[in-house]
Amino acid sequence: MLGEIEKLKAEATASLNQIRTSDDAENFRLKYLSRKGSLAQLFEKLKDVPKDEKPAIGKLLNELRNALESEFESVRKKVEAEKSRQSSKVDLSIPGRRRYVGRKHPLTQTADEIKRIFISIGFGIADGPEIEDDYHNFEALNFPPDHPARDMQDTFFVKSETGKYVLRTHTSPVQIRVMENNKPPVRVIIPGRVYRNEAVSARSYCLFHQVEGLYVDKNVSLAELKGTISFFAKEFFGSDVKLRFRPSYFPFTEPSAEVDVSCFICGGKGCRICKYSGWLEVLGCGMVDPNVYKFVGYDENEVSGYAFGMGIERLALLRYGIDDIRLFFENDLRFLNQF
Amino acid sequence: MKISRNWLEQFVDLTGISDQDIASRLTMLGIEIESFENFSEKYKGFVVGSVLEAEKHPKADKLRLCKVDIGGEIKSIICGAPNVAVGQRVPVGLIGALVPHDQHDPEGKPFKLTRAKIRGVESEGMICSAYELDLGDDKDGIMVFEAAAPLGKSLAEYLELNDTILEVSLTPNRADCLSHLGIAREISSAFSKKLAIKKQSLSESGDSITGIAKVEVIAPDLCPRYSARVIKGIKVGTSPQWLKNAVEKVGMRSINNVVDATNYVMLELGQPLHAFDLSLIKGKKIIVRRPLNSETKFTTLDGKERTIGPDMLMICDKEKIVAIAGVMGGMNSEINSETADVLIESANFSPSSIRKTSKTLGLSTEASYRFERGVDPNLTLAALDRVTQIITETAGGKIANGVIDAAAKKFAPQKIELRVEQVNRLLGTRLAAGEIKRQLDSIEIRCEKKSETVLTCSVPTFRGDIEREVDLIEEVARVYGYEKIEDSLQTKLAFDTRFNETDATDELKDFLAGAGFTEIVTNSLQLTNVASFHTDNFVTIANPISEDMAAMRTSLLPGALQTIKLNLSHGLKNMKLFEIGRKYLLSDKSQTVGNFSERNTISLSITGSADPLSYDRKESEFDIFDLKSEIERLLRHLKLDNWDFISYDNDKEYKQSLKLFVNGIEVGIAGRVSEMALENFSIEQSVYFAEIDLSEIASTKKKINRYQPLPKFPFASIDLAFIVNLDTPVGSLMKSLKSIAGNLFRDISVFDIYFGEGIPEGKKSVAFSVVLGSDERTLNDGDIARFIDNAESKLGKEFSAVLRKQKS
Repeated sequence: MLGEIEKLKAEATASLNQIRTSDDAENFRLKYLSRKGSLAQLFEKLKDVPKDEKPAIGKLLNELRNALESEFESVRKKVEAEKSRQSSKVDLSIPGRRRYVGRKHPLTQTADEIKRIFISIGFGIADGPEIEDDYHNFEALNFPPDHPARDMQDTFFVKSETGKYVLRTHTSPVQIRVMENNKPPVRVIIPGRVYRNEAVSARSYCLFHQVEGLYVDKNVSLAELKGTISFFAKEFFGSDVKLRFRPSYFPFTEPSAEVDVSCFICGGKGCRICKYSGWLEVLGCGMVDPNVYKFVGYDENEVSGYAFGMGIERLALLRYGIDDIRLFFENDLRFLNQF
Repeated sequence: MKISRNWLEQFVDLTGISDQDIASRLTMLGIEIESFENFSEKYKGFVVGSVLEAEKHPKADKLRLCKVDIGGEIKSIICGAPNVAVGQRVPVGLIGALVPHDQHDPEGKPFKLTRAKIRGVESEGMICSAYELDLGDDKDGIMVFEAAAPLGKSLAEYLELNDTILEVSLTPNRADCLSHLGIAREISSAFSKKLAIKKQSLSESGDSITGIAKVEVIAPDLCPRYSARVIKGIKVGTSPQWLKNAVEKVGMRSINNVVDATNYVMLELGQPLHAFDLSLIKGKKIIVRRPLNSETKFTTLDGKERTIGPDMLMICDKEKIVAIAGVMGGMNSEINSETADVLIESANFSPSSIRKTSKTLGLSTEASYRFERGVDPNLTLAALDRVTQIITETAGGKIANGVIDAAAKKFAPQKIELRVEQVNRLLGTRLAAGEIKRQLDSIEIRCEKKSETVLTCSVPTFRGDIEREVDLIEEVARVYGYEKIEDSLQTKLAFDTRFNETDATDELKDFLAGAGFTEIVTNSLQLTNVASFHTDNFVTIANPISEDMAAMRTSLLPGALQTIKLNLSHGLKNMKLFEIGRKYLLSDKSQTVGNFSERNTISLSITGSADPLSYDRKESEFDIFDLKSEIERLLRHLKLDNWDFISYDNDKEYKQSLKLFVNGIEVGIAGRVSEMALENFSIEQSVYFAEIDLSEIASTKKKINRYQPLPKFPFASIDLAFIVNLDTPVGSLMKSLKSIAGNLFRDISVFDIYFGEGIPEGKKSVAFSVVLGSDERTLNDGDIARFIDNAESKLGKEFSAVLRKQKS
């Protein structure tokens, strides 16, 4: 009898460990714990056990039953829990609900970066009208009437019976407005929209955006201008960019310079983007011409200063490797979503 | 402007200096070389050959197997040109040569000649067309040279193209560089080479000029100098090859030996010249004057009749106009095949006068281009002698003795004082007087020391652009080299707060992008019809590129619709877009500039589904309340609370149209875009659009909000539902509830609107959540009951509203 009890114990324990599903559990219950199960059959045999052995054997059997029942119960719960977990499981591979994702236009992002850099070195921001009078757009910037320098910028004229008005061809008239309204020192950048009467193509659009810069104070020098532009270029294009200042001409600056940066596409070796020169033209600048001070009532012997201007589209084209300026104004979302 | 390297060599020795060196040094001196082309490089591997045989290709009817003699060597070449024939002298490209254009490539890309088998037969080169060689447009057949073309000679040499042509892009101030002499002068400075200008020695063998011709300048203000010579007995004909090549190489057309000579000297020295047929000059007298009132028409050399104005300067004889000064000569005194005696004009004209004339006539010529930028007044005689020499060499004739030189004054070098300290102050350098003197000396500006710190500089008359001390400082910087000026960045970081206002739009753009809107940037030029659709007070462009950009935009709507149209065409249906930009209007009041008003405006456009690509929520299309929700979110973000939407009638642009008021001021509109507006853009789905005047709602001044103490007592939230007529505006109910709550009012929202089953016909149930609070105490049941009673009775009176249920 003792042998039979031990055998059943070993057998039941082993089979308990094999229970995986609720079917397994039911089979186990039927086989061992039901009224006709193996354990009940052993209890049946208890009546044949000699009287003096009965209490001990009976105790053993009761212990075995209690142990099996409690172990079975915990296994059964586990299996049931697993079963209900399986049945109510959320499919976490389903994607989230899509929402609109907004973003700023690449021109705005580029302008933001330019503004960030100049604000970090003490520049303020100024603004001015896009429909300008001839005086601010040209004359006060030392473009005399009937001067060939006016050919440098193809101009849109606005119909008016009261005066000569243009769509500003550059942000430079705001320089004049800033100096007219503020005593030196002044140090500002002027972002804004400008217009050129040029046929629309991959390389030019009838309007674009500029960031103008102006700093007038005591003893501002060309060296200071170079330092400022170099700082900007390294921040914007990366610290390993090389710069080249070469003499140029703008009526409102003297001396004047065009600034080229080493082509970061080809590393200066020459490619299609830099037209095989190794250099990319990025901005124009110079020392404010004394004639401009005369127009705004500054004393050229007291102050000196510099001005610069850059095209946001030009910088954005270079920054993102875009080859057609019209893309900025078509607003194809497949384009805008890339930035 | 095109400049020939060979031509430059007449003035300066370029031995050992590469084309690249010239290009980069000039560019760094402010004379930008856009590109250069070396023709001996370009035509390396091309020679003159002679076609010995041209048999049919065994396997292709249109191809011929040619044997071509390239000077001692015979090449087998397959040629597909219809005009190839035995005995021709032709251009031959050998293996390895780079053919400038591929005739079979749509873009005409260059290609390298390789040994190739064509239908089984090997070809050792190529006979080229003018197009393939970049020598013309002819693609129809191969180029055929004169029979005397020397066999085996390199193509560049045969065509006298052993040269480099530099493409120069000049800034308008450097008129002195509009010639080979001017560029040579810069090179001589850049490379420290001597500039060699040959003296002309003319043999004047004719009668004295004073007996032959006269010049009278009646308008010396517009013509400071007029010099002339006369040559008699010349023979007009085609130019000799060297002269023809010289002018054609730099892009001018060869006309005849006299005209080419005048052009040649202009290209060489920069002085525009004009030759008159003396026999056609009445009275043999040149009169320089403004036109008479009766003179309103004149026919220029190009055969066009021009309308002339009273301020234009004319060259006349005793009876009539013979040329428009400095712009173009006339048909009536043109050099022709019969011309024997010529009068050559070498004059100086007022730049602004020439520019005005050229602009008014819409006629820009090589001469006017130079005059309007300024020509050296001391160049007239040298140029005259040079052209006289060339004409007599190429067309014969006798030079009349003497020269006419009508000059208003002597043109002496200008003296300008230059302060050493000012140079260093402006440039941020520490240059000594001696160094400055040396730099200026290299560009022929002679300096004397006036004192230890001041130089007196003598500016040659060809540098008319240098008038002031600052102009000299630029020259110092230019010649010294910008790259040698050390960068400095040591300005103080802040000195005032006048410009510290942040741009409100920057922050708004971030907010809107965060709210799921994509920023667009659209054209501010529009069709007149589009601009006038929104208002009559639109701004018009006097000289538009095209009709569709003839007006300034009066609304951001067309740009938004254009964008939606484009993206719909790509299959995108759902969009949330914003733009911040200006509208331009005419205003009654005077503005910063004229009567033009520029309003910074924000536009919001939503179209398509409010919940795109959602897998378990019903796809609901955007409606007007989505638009209102976006606007309200924006207004809340801007901390505005006093706003109001008023619906108004507008059948034109909008269907469901609302005006937005903030603090009682109308700031914008919102609505569903009308069918009519959508039709113009072929858009077939609903678009909701709002346009808000930014300057009214977002101040550029940084506003710092003062802290409000947090409420000490809890708020009570009361839910109320009313049954009202279907057409009772919910907004009015809200306004009433707000006023009933009085100073206990904290917030109100709508949480349910229902009609249908359970609600009587023609009625709706509207449920509000009202938040009440007090700064002094916790509200008790009495306060709340009083509010509910008031609400019930007041709304009952005003709207016949019936309170439906209450929860608290």
